[in-house]
Amino acid sequence: MLQCIFLLSDSGEVLLEKQLTGHRVDRAICDWFWDQILTQGESLKLVPVIASPTHYLFQVVREGITFLACTQVEMPPLMAIEFLCRVADVLSNYLDGLNEDVIKDNFVIVYELLDEMIDNGFPLTTEPNILREMIAPPNIVSKVLSVVTGSTSNVSNTLPGATASCVPWRKTDLKHATNEVYVDLVEEMDATINSFVLPGFSVFLSLFLHYSGQLCSGSPVCIDGHPKQLANVFYLYSLSCSDLSPLLILLLLRDGNLVKCEIYGEVEVNSNLSGLPDLTLSFANPLIFNDVRFHPCVRLRPWEANQILSFVPPDGQFTLMSYRVKKLKSTPIYVKPQFTSDSGTCRVSVLVGIRNDPGKSIDNIAVQFKLPPCVKSSDLSSNYGSVNVLADKTCSWTIGRMPKDKAPSMSGTLVLESGMDRLHVFPTFKVGFRIMGVALSGLKIDKLDLKNPLSRPHKGFRALTKGGEFEVRS
Amino acid sequence: MAPPAQSHRSPSPSQPSGKGEVSDLKTQLRLLAGSRAPGTDDTKRELFKKVISYMTIGIDVSSVFSEMVMCSATSDIVLKKMCYLYVGNYAKHNPDLALLTINFLQRDCKDEDPMIRGLALRSLCLLGVANLVEYLVGPLGNGLKDGNSYVRMVAAVGVLKLYHLSASTCLDADFPPLLKQLMLKDKDSQVVANCLTSLQEIWSLEASTSEEAARERETLLSKPIVYYFLNRMKEFSEWAQCIILELVSKYAPMDTEEIFDIMNLLEDRLHHANGAVVLAIIKVFLHMTLSMTDVHQQVYERIKAPLLTLVSSGSPEQSYAVLSHLHLLVMRAPYIFSSDYKHFYCQYNEPFYVKKLKLEMLTAVANESNTYEIVTELCEYVANVDISMARESIRAVGKIALQQYDVNAIVDRLLQFLEMEKEHVTAETLVLVKDLLRKYPQWSHDCIAVVGNISSKNVQEPKAKAALIWMLGEYAQDMQDSPYILEGLVENWDEEDSTEVRLHLLTAVMKCFLRRAPETQKALGDALAAGVADFHQDVRDRALLYYRLLKYDVSVAKRIVNPPKQAVSVFADTQSSEMKDRIFDEFNSLSVVYQKPSYMFTDKEHRGPFAFSEELGNLSIGTEPSDAAVAAQRVEANDNDLLLGTSEKEEGHGYRSNGSAYSAPSYNASTTAGASQGHFDLVSIDQPSTVHPPASFAIDDLLGLGMPAAPSSAPPTLLLNAKASIDANAFQQKWRQQSISLSQETSIDPRGVAGMMNPQALPQHMQGHSINCIASGGQAPKFKFFFFAQKEDGSSAYLVECIINSSSCRVQLKIKADDQATSQAFSELFQSALAKFGSA
Repeated sequence: MLQCIFLLSDSGEVLLEKQLTGHRVDRAICDWFWDQILTQGESLKLVPVIASPTHYLFQVVREGITFLACTQVEMPPLMAIEFLCRVADVLSNYLDGLNEDVIKDNFVIVYELLDEMIDNGFPLTTEPNILREMIAPPNIVSKVLSVVTGSTSNVSNTLPGATASCVPWRKTDLKHATNEVYVDLVEEMDATINSFVLPGFSVFLSLFLHYSGQLCSGSPVCIDGHPKQLANVFYLYSLSCSDLSPLLILLLLRDGNLVKCEIYGEVEVNSNLSGLPDLTLSFANPLIFNDVRFHPCVRLRPWEANQILSFVPPDGQFTLMSYRVKKLKSTPIYVKPQFTSDSGTCRVSVLVGIRNDPGKSIDNIAVQFKLPPCVKSSDLSSNYGSVNVLADKTCSWTIGRMPKDKAPSMSGTLVLESGMDRLHVFPTFKVGFRIMGVALSGLKIDKLDLKNPLSRPHKGFRALTKGGEFEVRS
Repeated sequence: MAPPAQSHRSPSPSQPSGKGEVSDLKTQLRLLAGSRAPGTDDTKRELFKKVISYMTIGIDVSSVFSEMVMCSATSDIVLKKMCYLYVGNYAKHNPDLALLTINFLQRDCKDEDPMIRGLALRSLCLLGVANLVEYLVGPLGNGLKDGNSYVRMVAAVGVLKLYHLSASTCLDADFPPLLKQLMLKDKDSQVVANCLTSLQEIWSLEASTSEEAARERETLLSKPIVYYFLNRMKEFSEWAQCIILELVSKYAPMDTEEIFDIMNLLEDRLHHANGAVVLAIIKVFLHMTLSMTDVHQQVYERIKAPLLTLVSSGSPEQSYAVLSHLHLLVMRAPYIFSSDYKHFYCQYNEPFYVKKLKLEMLTAVANESNTYEIVTELCEYVANVDISMARESIRAVGKIALQQYDVNAIVDRLLQFLEMEKEHVTAETLVLVKDLLRKYPQWSHDCIAVVGNISSKNVQEPKAKAALIWMLGEYAQDMQDSPYILEGLVENWDEEDSTEVRLHLLTAVMKCFLRRAPETQKALGDALAAGVADFHQDVRDRALLYYRLLKYDVSVAKRIVNPPKQAVSVFADTQSSEMKDRIFDEFNSLSVVYQKPSYMFTDKEHRGPFAFSEELGNLSIGTEPSDAAVAAQRVEANDNDLLLGTSEKEEGHGYRSNGSAYSAPSYNASTTAGASQGHFDLVSIDQPSTVHPPASFAIDDLLGLGMPAAPSSAPPTLLLNAKASIDANAFQQKWRQQSISLSQETSIDPRGVAGMMNPQALPQHMQGHSINCIASGGQAPKFKFFFFAQKEDGSSAYLVECIINSSSCRVQLKIKADDQATSQAFSELFQSALAKFGSA
């Protein structure tokens, strides 16, 4: 199984080395690995499973920290990768985020954690709740406590009771002054939208604008009673090249092309309940799920039979289930990019607006795209929010909350490299947004019941939808 | 006071300014050692932290070992943990000092706090000093019987660590039966799981030498034990579940009813949040239903949704591992996934390796109903900024076209690509159009019209240029300008770097000439002249061939160069279906990620875990840095297989861990048959004799290596092909498949040994004798080389493993040959070449 785990900083420095078996792995492997990263470009682009001359390496990168594990024998790759991800999660949870300094400051804790999480290369316990009972996190509370009590150990002196209980994720004798349980639906919308279907589109647009006489580039158009929808136009064209006068262009109004749209959601529970509570959570519309995954505490039979979640929760914050809902029909906002090239310059205009009002306000809206390499310079501005072009040609337009009175738009010109007449690569727009109070999948919680509670607990429900991999192709 | 520890250890050269600080630490620690004043622990803690942080950044702090041990008498658990960590890191290289720690670790093993007992026991097992194992037995035995499950859990794994340190101690103490008892009785699931992992490893390593162990290993797979685990499945942690599921996947159920029982029991676990568990379950399902075709189909349907969810949730790293498995399944049964094609659409931000897998899957699932949408999506990627992605996408479009769905639309798309005026798109598309034309000659008209508009000046990539030139030649009568374009290309002959392009140009001009002689005559003359004068032999040969053909008879030339073409119906597939099956058998393993069966990159069963670690660490690489390294390792690994494949596995262990064992036995230096026979006995290869052809006919036939019908007597002289070549993979596969035909020991000229200082010297020297080095490695005094040579007529290949001991000037040879009868002759040739090394 795994023989060694290294933590590397973003400059390739070994922050920590944890040998797991009697067969030591030499640090030289890290140098080899880092050479690979340097020669292959960005570390994120490197395959997670690599064969080095001496070992098979698994790597997971989080916040600039590379978690590198080595083995020399065949093993399930996902087991190693899952484990490294867990290590990263637990560490960032313990240390309140991950970075080089925080690991250097707390390396003793990291060693202690790894000691309990894996022995002889086999993962043991990765449940944050159990680990917290064995090794106290370095938070302020424990620092205060150590001053007050004079005890300096950050290790609890008792072994967690749960290691012996039949509910391994929970300690048996928990007591909370206020009993409360919160359930959050956190959804991410992944969508791919094509603005235009044909790569050669912009040429025809400018041809059309040119020959139809009454129009000039950028002005609002009115066709068939649909004003201001130039960016929505989808062209089916047929033209005879020999003679341009009978140029025939068929315009169809079209609302972008939703290639794919789905929701990935998680049910996050924050439970602070005394004793050994038994919870049941049911949904009003459980049939919308395409697939589900559960925390180990969920009893699987009641779900199979009646789509009811029955579980004894771990203490604190955890992900009760994750789910996927496919084939959504629409998105809450639209982003309509348009590029028109003409003799070395390219006009850009991007419109953002609400397509389907979700009933709550949309905020944290941000549009990001990478300018094609052939763009020499750019001049972009917006009527709302701020536009930034970074050194690596990433252009980000931060809108924030959707204004009530106007539709945000960004426009400007791109100057192409000399020799280029028109733009022929079109960037993909990555869109971020957040809607509080709504689960866009339509999922509704029906009720949450508690068996054997010590007192009537306080229950709370929230929902949130974010933009996940939300892409608009121009 | 213990003596200062640093005496026999020279300071590490990498040590920066740390030296002074380390000695500071040493004094401070020493002052604290005996102190019991309040607050001492805090000071100690700071100091320990410093020591550990030095250790972490790579400064050698082994010199404070004895002070650390002296300070370890404390009740503070964090101090203890840091101390354990320190000791674990340095004990292996300071066995004398490690002895100092035994005492306090043993004492801690009896502490009243179970956590300290457990931690101390774990550290004790991690010391890794072979001559201290006797101190391990007692605490381990107590640990296994401890009242606290935490300690038992640590002890169960400790037994395995002890086994790796000293197998005999572990077995003599009767630990495996104890573990088995625990495994079947213990209430704590983690203890049970740890017992299982330890037992699995110990028994499978022992199985080759002890019948009892082999039997025990079988009982682990027996119905009662497997059912015992299955029934307790819910109690186990997610990681333990993975290990148990791996065991279950090896279990062979008696009948279909049993299979259904197991599957029903496990089915709900497909919803598990841990992807590793889900994949392990899927492996069980797939393996159990292999023989039941219809159920196997249903299993695919059932596992589809969980797999797709795993891909879309989690980090990119997890997605990749799952995608690799999904890729395997999609390739096996594309029709099942054809309606889920949208899941394989690429996201802009995904890393390239993920996109590539997705493209392959999109290509595989394309059928009549979804081709249009898939190709539309692929066209999006072609317009993408990412050049390598655009290329892959065009290739994918081409592959779909070659699968014969909706070719009309696709050809139109491809031709649109050519109009995009992007160099890489044009280049890639040209290669594809060429392939398409070979399969669908009926499209030539449309394609040629567009291709004819492309200026050859805009095409720079050799592959694309070759494709364009091929079309110019093949469709010379349809393309007006063809002879003139070719003429222009011939004029620039000297500037053309690529041999491939020059070869194609020759052929294209020739074809063009045979169709439109008057226009091409001049170009052909120039091309042939340039070709005959070309420095590349292949080009020269082809030019001469054409020249002589034309001189002999133009109509014959026409028949040969321009025969009526038949459309290609199937292009050769790169990965054989047998290989795919092999990978499928190894579902949920690294094989799937690498898309290679495990025998091609590792071999666990024969070797046992970690057996090759030390030796491989020293293996240096010859020419190509990374590829050759892996290749060399593979060759090495397979070589070990051969050694361990024999019955004397234990001996094999010693053989490798102790390098000098190679040269220890004193053999007769002569190369008589008797000596080689004697050597055979040592490595005990199952082969009765060297002279008779062994029973490897079947393999040779499979490979089509052309084994001579009856091995004739050795030819008087053996000539070797000077240009023989083989790639490392093929070599390694061959090495695996063939048995040793000759094994000899000889000596090498001491002057030659001096030449070994330069690692490239010997390979270069041997190349002069038509013997090529495939891989090399090792450190003084033991070097290892793999050579390859081929008989001049190509009828037999010779594979040689050559171990040179530079201190004793001994050379061990193992020779494998297709034609066994000539191996003796080859050996003589090899040795004479070797003898000349250094003497020249």
